[in-house]
Amino acid sequence: MNEASRGRKSSAFSWWLRTGRLPLAVSPDGLELKFNPWHDPADGRFTFAGAGRHYGASEADAAGGASSRTSDRAGAAPALGDRSKSQTGTRSKRKTSRAGPPASGAHRPVRPVPPPVQPKSTEEGQLGKQPNPVTEFVGGVGEGLYDVGKVTVAGLHAARTTNPATTVRSAGRGIAGMIDAAIAAEDTPARIQVSRAASAVANASARDIGRATGTVAGNVALAVAPGATLSKVAALRRLRMARPRTTYEPPQIGWVRETTRSKKSWKTYNDAAPGARAGQAPTLMRTMADGSKRPVKFDGIQGDYVIDRKWKVVDAPHARAQLLRQSQVLAEHRLIGTWEVPTLVEKNKALKLFKKMSVTNIHVKVVKP
Amino acid sequence: MIAMQVADIIAEYVVFLTLTDEDELNLDTAVKMTESLADHLEEMDKGFLRELVDTFPVVAEGYSGEAQEVVRNIAYNFYLEEALAAEDPVRLAELEALRDARD
Repeated sequence: MNEASRGRKSSAFSWWLRTGRLPLAVSPDGLELKFNPWHDPADGRFTFAGAGRHYGASEADAAGGASSRTSDRAGAAPALGDRSKSQTGTRSKRKTSRAGPPASGAHRPVRPVPPPVQPKSTEEGQLGKQPNPVTEFVGGVGEGLYDVGKVTVAGLHAARTTNPATTVRSAGRGIAGMIDAAIAAEDTPARIQVSRAASAVANASARDIGRATGTVAGNVALAVAPGATLSKVAALRRLRMARPRTTYEPPQIGWVRETTRSKKSWKTYNDAAPGARAGQAPTLMRTMADGSKRPVKFDGIQGDYVIDRKWKVVDAPHARAQLLRQSQVLAEHRLIGTWEVPTLVEKNKALKLFKKMSVTNIHVKVVKP
Repeated sequence: MIAMQVADIIAEYVVFLTLTDEDELNLDTAVKMTESLADHLEEMDKGFLRELVDTFPVVAEGYSGEAQEVVRNIAYNFYLEEALAAEDPVRLAELEALRDARD
Protein backbone atom coordinates (compact mmCIF):
# COMPACT_ATOMS: atom_id res chain seq x y z
CA MET A 1 0.00 0.00 0.00
CA ASN A 2 2.75 2.38 0.94
CA GLU A 3 4.73 1.26 -2.05
CA ALA A 4 1.81 1.99 -4.36
CA SER A 5 1.27 5.38 -2.78
CA ARG A 6 4.94 6.20 -3.06
CA GLY A 7 4.87 5.09 -6.67
CA ARG A 8 1.99 7.37 -7.47
CA LYS A 9 3.72 10.26 -5.77
CA SER A 10 6.98 9.73 -7.65
CA SER A 11 5.05 9.31 -10.86
CA ALA A 12 3.24 12.60 -10.33
CA PHE A 13 6.49 14.25 -9.47
CA SER A 14 8.22 12.97 -12.59
CA TRP A 15 5.22 14.10 -14.63
CA TRP A 16 5.55 17.55 -13.15
CA LEU A 17 9.30 17.60 -13.81
CA ARG A 18 8.87 16.64 -17.39
CA THR A 19 5.78 18.70 -18.29
CA GLY A 20 5.65 21.42 -15.69
CA ARG A 21 2.05 20.36 -14.99
CA LEU A 22 0.44 18.28 -12.42
CA PRO A 23 -1.74 15.38 -13.40
CA LEU A 24 -5.45 15.80 -13.03
CA ALA A 25 -7.11 14.61 -9.90
CA VAL A 26 -10.07 12.64 -11.07
CA SER A 27 -12.00 10.09 -9.13
CA PRO A 28 -12.83 6.70 -10.64
CA ASP A 29 -16.34 7.89 -11.47
CA GLY A 30 -14.98 10.83 -13.37
CA LEU A 31 -15.69 13.53 -10.82
CA GLU A 32 -13.10 16.16 -10.28
CA LEU A 33 -11.43 15.98 -6.91
CA LYS A 34 -10.95 19.20 -5.02
CA PHE A 35 -9.71 20.10 -1.61
CA ASN A 36 -12.04 21.92 0.72
CA PRO A 37 -10.19 23.30 3.74
CA TRP A 38 -13.29 24.56 5.50
CA HIS A 39 -14.66 22.36 8.23
CA ASP A 40 -17.02 22.75 11.13
CA PRO A 41 -14.83 22.17 14.21
CA ALA A 42 -17.87 20.88 16.10
CA ASP A 43 -18.55 17.86 13.92
CA GLY A 44 -15.83 17.94 11.29
CA ARG A 45 -18.21 18.27 8.38
CA PHE A 46 -17.44 20.41 5.34
CA THR A 47 -18.74 23.92 5.36
CA PHE A 48 -18.89 26.70 2.83
CA ALA A 49 -15.99 29.04 2.55
CA GLY A 50 -15.90 31.54 5.37
CA ALA A 51 -17.93 29.36 7.73
CA GLY A 52 -16.33 26.98 10.16
CA ARG A 53 -12.57 26.78 10.33
CA HIS A 54 -9.96 26.90 7.61
CA TYR A 55 -7.70 23.86 7.78
CA GLY A 56 -5.81 24.60 4.60
CA ALA A 57 -2.07 24.36 4.08
CA SER A 58 -0.57 27.56 5.29
CA GLU A 59 2.95 28.33 6.36
CA ALA A 60 2.08 27.79 9.96
CA ASP A 61 0.56 24.44 9.16
CA ALA A 62 3.61 23.53 7.19
CA ALA A 63 5.57 24.00 10.39
CA GLY A 64 3.95 20.91 11.74
CA GLY A 65 0.51 21.85 13.00
CA ALA A 66 -1.20 18.83 14.44
CA SER A 67 -4.61 20.13 13.54
CA SER A 68 -3.76 20.45 9.91
CA ARG A 69 -4.52 17.52 7.71
CA THR A 70 -1.94 18.62 5.20
CA SER A 71 0.97 19.03 7.52
CA ASP A 72 2.62 15.88 6.31
CA ARG A 73 2.43 17.04 2.74
CA ALA A 74 3.76 20.51 3.30
CA GLY A 75 6.55 21.47 1.04
CA ALA A 76 6.09 18.44 -1.16
CA ALA A 77 4.39 17.98 -4.44
CA PRO A 78 0.67 17.46 -4.14
CA ALA A 79 -0.28 13.85 -3.75
CA LEU A 80 -3.18 12.46 -5.61
CA GLY A 81 -3.81 9.69 -3.17
CA ASP A 82 -4.34 12.13 -0.34
CA ARG A 83 -6.55 14.33 -2.34
CA SER A 84 -8.92 11.53 -3.03
CA LYS A 85 -10.13 11.81 0.55
CA SER A 86 -11.52 15.29 0.09
CA GLN A 87 -14.08 14.76 -2.54
CA THR A 88 -16.54 17.57 -2.62
CA GLY A 89 -18.69 16.45 -5.48
CA THR A 90 -18.81 19.95 -6.92
CA ARG A 91 -17.13 21.67 -9.79
CA SER A 92 -17.19 25.15 -8.32
CA LYS A 93 -13.91 26.97 -8.99
CA ARG A 94 -14.38 29.34 -6.09
CA LYS A 95 -13.82 26.67 -3.50
CA THR A 96 -10.29 25.97 -4.59
CA SER A 97 -8.30 27.39 -1.78
CA ARG A 98 -5.47 24.95 -1.33
CA ALA A 99 -1.99 25.05 -2.78
CA GLY A 100 -2.93 22.24 -5.01
CA PRO A 101 -3.77 21.89 -8.64
CA PRO A 102 -6.62 23.87 -10.01
CA ALA A 103 -9.33 21.58 -11.21
CA SER A 104 -11.04 23.57 -13.86
CA GLY A 105 -9.94 21.48 -16.78
CA ALA A 106 -8.10 18.35 -17.72
CA HIS A 107 -5.22 20.08 -19.53
CA ARG A 108 -5.01 23.32 -17.68
CA PRO A 109 -1.46 24.04 -16.59
CA VAL A 110 -0.77 24.14 -12.93
CA ARG A 111 1.85 26.26 -11.31
CA PRO A 112 4.31 24.22 -9.25
CA VAL A 113 4.06 26.31 -6.07
CA PRO A 114 1.04 28.55 -6.27
CA PRO A 115 0.58 30.99 -3.44
CA PRO A 116 -1.93 29.81 -0.89
CA VAL A 117 -5.30 31.31 -1.36
CA GLN A 118 -6.32 33.19 1.72
CA PRO A 119 -9.81 32.73 3.05
CA LYS A 120 -10.19 36.48 3.01
CA SER A 121 -10.04 36.68 -0.77
CA THR A 122 -12.49 33.83 -1.06
CA GLU A 123 -14.82 35.52 1.37
CA GLU A 124 -14.67 38.69 -0.64
CA GLY A 125 -15.82 36.77 -3.65
CA GLN A 126 -18.78 35.35 -1.75
CA LEU A 127 -19.74 38.33 0.30
CA GLY A 128 -23.38 37.90 -0.40
CA LYS A 129 -23.48 34.30 0.78
CA GLN A 130 -21.23 34.75 3.78
CA PRO A 131 -22.84 34.52 7.25
CA ASN A 132 -22.89 37.55 9.48
CA PRO A 133 -19.73 37.51 11.70
CA VAL A 134 -21.66 38.90 14.66
CA THR A 135 -24.21 36.12 14.39
CA GLU A 136 -21.44 33.59 14.06
CA PHE A 137 -19.69 34.98 17.13
CA VAL A 138 -22.86 34.88 19.22
CA GLY A 139 -23.57 31.37 18.03
CA GLY A 140 -20.03 30.36 18.97
CA VAL A 141 -20.44 31.81 22.43
CA GLY A 142 -23.57 29.77 22.84
CA GLU A 143 -21.81 26.62 21.70
CA GLY A 144 -18.95 27.22 24.10
CA LEU A 145 -21.27 27.72 27.03
CA TYR A 146 -23.24 24.67 26.00
CA ASP A 147 -20.07 22.57 25.83
CA VAL A 148 -18.93 23.69 29.28
CA GLY A 149 -22.36 23.05 30.74
CA LYS A 150 -22.58 19.64 29.10
CA VAL A 151 -19.17 18.58 30.43
CA THR A 152 -20.01 19.92 33.87
CA VAL A 153 -23.32 18.09 34.04
CA ALA A 154 -21.67 14.91 32.83
CA GLY A 155 -18.97 15.28 35.46
CA LEU A 156 -21.48 15.89 38.22
CA HIS A 157 -23.56 12.95 37.12
CA ALA A 158 -20.49 10.76 37.05
CA ALA A 159 -19.43 11.97 40.47
CA ARG A 160 -22.86 11.15 41.90
CA THR A 161 -23.33 7.82 40.24
CA THR A 162 -19.92 6.34 39.73
CA ASN A 163 -18.20 4.12 42.17
CA PRO A 164 -15.54 6.21 43.92
CA ALA A 165 -12.89 3.67 43.00
CA THR A 166 -13.87 3.92 39.34
CA THR A 167 -13.88 7.69 39.53
CA VAL A 168 -10.41 7.70 41.00
CA ARG A 169 -9.22 5.27 38.35
CA SER A 170 -10.71 7.41 35.58
CA ALA A 171 -9.18 10.51 37.07
CA GLY A 172 -5.85 8.72 37.13
CA ARG A 173 -6.15 7.84 33.46
CA GLY A 174 -7.07 11.42 32.66
CA ILE A 175 -4.10 12.72 34.55
CA ALA A 176 -1.86 10.24 32.77
CA GLY A 177 -3.20 11.47 29.44
CA MET A 178 -2.55 15.05 30.41
CA ILE A 179 0.99 14.17 31.39
CA ASP A 180 1.54 12.42 28.07
CA ALA A 181 0.23 15.45 26.21
CA ALA A 182 2.43 17.74 28.25
CA ILE A 183 5.48 15.60 27.53
CA ALA A 184 4.64 15.57 23.82
CA ALA A 185 4.19 19.33 23.86
CA GLU A 186 7.49 19.70 25.63
CA ASP A 187 9.19 17.70 22.91
CA THR A 188 7.81 20.06 20.28
CA PRO A 189 10.00 23.12 19.75
CA ALA A 190 8.54 26.30 21.12
CA ARG A 191 8.65 28.09 17.80
CA ILE A 192 6.49 25.41 16.26
CA GLN A 193 3.99 25.61 19.06
CA VAL A 194 3.87 29.37 18.67
CA SER A 195 3.39 29.09 14.96
CA ARG A 196 0.58 26.62 15.50
CA ALA A 197 -1.13 28.99 17.85
CA ALA A 198 -0.67 31.87 15.42
CA SER A 199 -2.09 29.75 12.64
CA ALA A 200 -5.07 28.77 14.71
CA VAL A 201 -5.80 32.38 15.53
CA ALA A 202 -5.25 33.55 11.98
CA ASN A 203 -7.58 30.95 10.57
CA ALA A 204 -10.21 31.15 13.28
CA SER A 205 -13.60 32.21 12.15
CA ALA A 206 -15.96 34.36 14.12
CA ARG A 207 -17.71 31.24 15.33
CA ASP A 208 -14.41 29.80 16.58
CA ILE A 209 -13.65 32.96 18.51
CA GLY A 210 -17.17 33.00 19.89
CA ARG A 211 -16.90 29.39 20.97
CA ALA A 212 -13.61 30.05 22.72
CA THR A 213 -15.10 33.09 24.44
CA GLY A 214 -18.10 31.11 25.59
CA THR A 215 -15.91 28.30 26.90
CA VAL A 216 -13.74 30.69 28.87
CA ALA A 217 -16.77 32.51 30.25
CA GLY A 218 -18.41 29.25 31.21
CA ASN A 219 -15.33 27.96 32.96
CA VAL A 220 -14.86 31.21 34.83
CA ALA A 221 -18.48 31.06 35.95
CA LEU A 222 -18.00 27.49 37.05
CA ALA A 223 -14.89 28.43 38.99
CA VAL A 224 -16.67 31.23 40.82
CA ALA A 225 -20.16 29.83 41.23
CA PRO A 226 -19.42 26.55 43.03
CA GLY A 227 -17.80 28.33 45.97
CA ALA A 228 -20.82 30.50 46.55
CA THR A 229 -23.23 27.66 45.88
CA LEU A 230 -21.43 25.26 48.14
CA SER A 231 -21.28 27.82 50.92
CA LYS A 232 -25.04 28.23 50.64
CA VAL A 233 -25.55 24.50 50.68
CA ALA A 234 -23.25 24.12 53.67
CA ALA A 235 -25.06 26.90 55.50
CA LEU A 236 -28.42 25.29 54.80
CA ARG A 237 -27.09 21.94 55.95
CA ARG A 238 -25.78 23.47 59.15
CA LEU A 239 -29.11 25.16 59.68
CA ARG A 240 -30.96 21.90 59.21
CA MET A 241 -28.63 19.96 61.48
CA ALA A 242 -28.55 22.61 64.17
CA ARG A 243 -30.21 21.52 67.34
CA PRO A 244 -31.14 23.81 70.17
CA ARG A 245 -28.24 23.90 72.54
CA THR A 246 -28.69 23.33 76.20
CA THR A 247 -28.06 26.60 77.91
CA TYR A 248 -26.50 26.44 81.30
CA GLU A 249 -26.85 29.03 83.96
CA PRO A 250 -23.70 30.95 84.77
CA PRO A 251 -21.85 29.50 87.75
CA GLN A 252 -23.59 30.41 90.97
CA ILE A 253 -20.60 31.80 92.75
CA GLY A 254 -21.19 32.90 96.28
CA TRP A 255 -18.82 34.84 98.47
CA VAL A 256 -18.21 34.15 102.14
CA ARG A 257 -16.21 36.08 104.65
CA GLU A 258 -12.72 34.76 105.30
CA THR A 259 -10.80 36.04 108.27
CA THR A 260 -7.74 33.83 108.29
CA ARG A 261 -4.70 35.87 109.21
CA SER A 262 -1.07 35.01 108.56
CA LYS A 263 2.18 36.66 107.59
CA LYS A 264 3.48 33.56 105.89
CA SER A 265 3.96 32.99 102.19
CA TRP A 266 1.02 30.62 101.80
CA LYS A 267 -1.44 33.39 102.77
CA THR A 268 -0.02 35.86 100.29
CA TYR A 269 -0.03 33.20 97.58
CA ASN A 270 -3.65 32.22 98.21
CA ASP A 271 -4.87 35.81 98.29
CA ALA A 272 -3.23 36.47 94.90
CA ALA A 273 -5.45 33.97 93.08
CA PRO A 274 -7.22 35.35 89.97
CA GLY A 275 -10.60 36.83 90.81
CA ALA A 276 -9.95 36.78 94.53
CA ARG A 277 -11.48 39.41 96.76
CA ALA A 278 -9.84 40.70 99.90
CA GLY A 279 -11.40 39.13 103.01
CA GLN A 280 -13.75 36.98 100.91
CA ALA A 281 -13.63 33.52 99.40
CA PRO A 282 -15.64 32.34 96.37
CA THR A 283 -17.87 29.37 97.05
CA LEU A 284 -19.99 26.87 95.17
CA MET A 285 -22.99 25.31 96.86
CA ARG A 286 -22.83 21.54 97.25
CA THR A 287 -26.03 19.56 97.58
CA MET A 288 -25.85 17.04 100.39
CA ALA A 289 -27.52 13.63 100.45
CA ASP A 290 -30.39 15.01 102.56
CA GLY A 291 -30.97 17.85 100.08
CA SER A 292 -29.32 20.50 102.20
CA LYS A 293 -26.68 22.74 100.70
CA ARG A 294 -23.24 23.55 102.02
CA PRO A 295 -20.57 25.80 100.56
CA VAL A 296 -17.28 24.63 99.17
CA LYS A 297 -14.63 27.32 99.32
CA PHE A 298 -12.09 28.18 96.69
CA ASP A 299 -9.50 30.93 96.37
CA GLY A 300 -10.42 32.54 93.04
CA ILE A 301 -12.36 32.30 89.82
CA GLN A 302 -11.39 32.98 86.23
CA GLY A 303 -14.19 32.70 83.68
CA ASP A 304 -15.78 29.31 84.22
CA TYR A 305 -12.73 27.98 86.07
CA VAL A 306 -12.73 28.06 89.83
CA ILE A 307 -9.28 28.15 91.33
CA ASP A 308 -7.88 26.71 94.52
CA ARG A 309 -4.32 27.65 95.34
CA LYS A 310 -2.20 25.14 97.25
CA TRP A 311 1.05 26.32 98.75
CA LYS A 312 1.66 22.77 99.95
CA VAL A 313 -0.13 19.62 98.90
CA VAL A 314 -0.90 17.24 101.77
CA ASP A 315 -2.24 13.71 101.60
CA ALA A 316 -4.18 13.73 104.86
CA PRO A 317 -7.68 12.19 105.12
CA HIS A 318 -9.46 15.55 105.36
CA ALA A 319 -7.41 16.85 102.40
CA ARG A 320 -8.62 13.90 100.33
CA ALA A 321 -12.16 14.58 101.51
CA GLN A 322 -11.80 18.19 100.35
CA LEU A 323 -10.64 17.03 96.94
CA LEU A 324 -13.74 14.84 96.59
CA ARG A 325 -16.01 17.68 97.73
CA GLN A 326 -14.51 20.01 95.17
CA SER A 327 -14.85 17.44 92.41
CA GLN A 328 -18.47 16.79 93.32
CA VAL A 329 -19.50 20.43 93.47
CA LEU A 330 -17.71 21.16 90.20
CA ALA A 331 -19.58 18.29 88.55
CA GLU A 332 -22.88 19.61 89.92
CA HIS A 333 -22.20 23.03 88.42
CA ARG A 334 -20.63 21.61 85.21
CA LEU A 335 -17.42 23.45 85.88
CA ILE A 336 -13.74 22.65 85.76
CA GLY A 337 -11.49 23.37 88.71
CA THR A 338 -7.86 24.35 88.75
CA TRP A 339 -5.30 23.83 91.43
CA GLU A 340 -2.51 26.34 91.23
CA VAL A 341 0.71 25.30 92.95
CA PRO A 342 4.04 27.13 93.24
CA THR A 343 6.44 24.35 92.22
CA LEU A 344 6.68 21.31 90.01
CA VAL A 345 7.18 19.11 93.08
CA GLU A 346 3.78 20.17 94.40
CA LYS A 347 2.25 19.64 90.99
CA ASN A 348 3.50 16.05 90.91
CA LYS A 349 2.07 15.47 94.36
CA ALA A 350 -1.29 16.84 93.22
CA LEU A 351 -1.34 14.71 90.08
CA LYS A 352 -0.69 11.56 92.08
CA LEU A 353 -3.45 12.51 94.47
CA PHE A 354 -5.91 13.12 91.62
CA LYS A 355 -5.06 9.75 90.15
CA LYS A 356 -5.42 8.03 93.50
CA MET A 357 -8.83 9.64 94.08
CA SER A 358 -9.94 9.26 90.42
CA VAL A 359 -10.61 12.97 90.08
CA THR A 360 -10.70 14.17 86.47
CA ASN A 361 -12.47 17.52 86.55
CA ILE A 362 -9.71 19.40 88.31
CA HIS A 363 -6.53 20.44 86.54
CA VAL A 364 -3.29 21.47 88.11
CA LYS A 365 -0.76 23.99 86.93
CA VAL A 366 2.31 25.64 88.29
CA VAL A 367 1.91 29.33 89.03
CA LYS A 368 4.98 30.93 90.45
CA PRO A 369 4.36 33.17 93.49
CA MET B 1 12.94 16.27 125.04
CA ILE B 2 12.01 19.43 123.22
CA ALA B 3 11.22 17.45 120.12
CA MET B 4 8.74 15.38 122.15
CA GLN B 5 6.99 18.54 123.41
CA VAL B 6 6.83 20.13 119.94
CA ALA B 7 5.65 16.88 118.39
CA ASP B 8 2.92 16.66 121.01
CA ILE B 9 1.67 20.17 120.16
CA ILE B 10 1.73 19.43 116.46
CA ALA B 11 -0.07 16.13 116.94
CA GLU B 12 -2.91 17.75 118.89
CA TYR B 13 -3.26 20.48 116.28
CA VAL B 14 -3.33 17.96 113.44
CA VAL B 15 -5.94 15.81 115.17
CA PHE B 16 -8.09 18.89 115.64
CA LEU B 17 -7.83 19.92 111.99
CA THR B 18 -8.45 16.41 110.74
CA LEU B 19 -11.19 15.09 112.92
CA THR B 20 -13.23 18.13 113.99
CA ASP B 21 -16.77 18.06 112.72
CA GLU B 22 -17.89 20.39 109.94
CA ASP B 23 -20.35 22.11 112.25
CA GLU B 24 -17.50 23.29 114.47
CA LEU B 25 -14.81 23.94 111.93
CA ASN B 26 -15.02 24.79 108.25
CA LEU B 27 -13.50 21.85 106.44
CA ASP B 28 -11.84 23.95 103.77
CA THR B 29 -10.33 26.22 106.36
CA ALA B 30 -9.03 23.15 108.18
CA VAL B 31 -7.30 21.94 105.03
CA LYS B 32 -5.85 25.36 104.45
CA MET B 33 -4.38 25.44 107.92
CA THR B 34 -3.04 21.92 107.45
CA GLU B 35 -1.24 23.09 104.32
CA SER B 36 0.11 26.00 106.32
CA LEU B 37 1.40 23.61 108.98
CA ALA B 38 3.08 21.50 106.30
CA ASP B 39 4.91 24.60 105.11
CA HIS B 40 6.06 25.37 108.66
CA LEU B 41 7.36 21.85 109.17
CA GLU B 42 9.27 21.78 105.88
CA GLU B 43 10.99 25.04 106.79
CA MET B 44 12.31 23.59 110.04
CA ASP B 45 15.93 22.68 110.59
CA LYS B 46 16.48 19.29 108.97
CA GLY B 47 18.02 17.77 112.06
CA PHE B 48 15.17 18.85 114.28
CA LEU B 49 12.66 17.77 111.68
CA ARG B 50 14.31 14.35 111.72
CA GLU B 51 13.81 14.18 115.48
CA LEU B 52 10.17 15.20 115.10
CA VAL B 53 9.53 12.60 112.43
CA ASP B 54 11.00 9.92 114.67
CA THR B 55 8.96 11.18 117.67
CA PHE B 56 5.47 11.19 116.07
CA PRO B 57 5.04 7.38 116.42
CA VAL B 58 5.90 7.71 120.10
CA VAL B 59 3.43 10.54 120.56
CA ALA B 60 0.77 8.53 118.69
CA GLU B 61 0.84 5.99 121.51
CA GLY B 62 -0.96 8.55 123.66
CA TYR B 63 -3.92 8.57 121.30
CA SER B 64 -6.39 5.90 120.38
CA GLY B 65 -8.49 4.94 117.45
CA GLU B 66 -8.66 7.25 114.48
CA ALA B 67 -6.63 9.98 116.19
CA GLN B 68 -3.77 7.56 116.79
CA GLU B 69 -3.70 6.69 113.11
CA VAL B 70 -3.70 10.37 112.21
CA VAL B 71 -0.71 11.13 114.44
CA ARG B 72 1.22 8.07 113.32
CA ASN B 73 0.79 9.16 109.69
CA ILE B 74 1.77 12.81 110.11
CA ALA B 75 5.17 12.31 108.46
CA TYR B 76 3.60 10.40 105.60
CA ASN B 77 0.65 12.78 105.05
CA PHE B 78 2.85 15.89 105.15
CA TYR B 79 5.59 14.47 102.90
CA LEU B 80 8.14 15.03 105.66
CA GLU B 81 10.43 12.16 104.64
CA GLU B 82 10.54 13.62 101.14
CA ALA B 83 11.44 17.01 102.61
CA LEU B 84 14.33 15.42 104.51
CA ALA B 85 15.55 13.58 101.36
CA ALA B 86 15.23 16.59 99.06
CA GLU B 87 18.93 16.43 98.16
CA ASP B 88 19.00 12.67 97.67
CA PRO B 89 17.38 11.56 94.40
CA VAL B 90 17.91 7.87 95.16
CA ARG B 91 16.11 8.18 98.48
CA LEU B 92 13.36 10.22 96.82
CA ALA B 93 12.84 7.49 94.24
CA GLU B 94 12.72 4.91 96.98
CA LEU B 95 10.12 6.94 98.92
CA GLU B 96 8.03 7.36 95.82
CA ALA B 97 8.07 3.64 95.23
CA LEU B 98 7.07 3.01 98.84
CA ARG B 99 4.22 5.52 98.54
CA ASP B 100 2.97 3.94 95.32
CA ALA B 101 3.12 0.49 96.88
CA ARG B 102 1.22 1.66 99.94
CA ASP B 103 -1.59 3.22 97.92
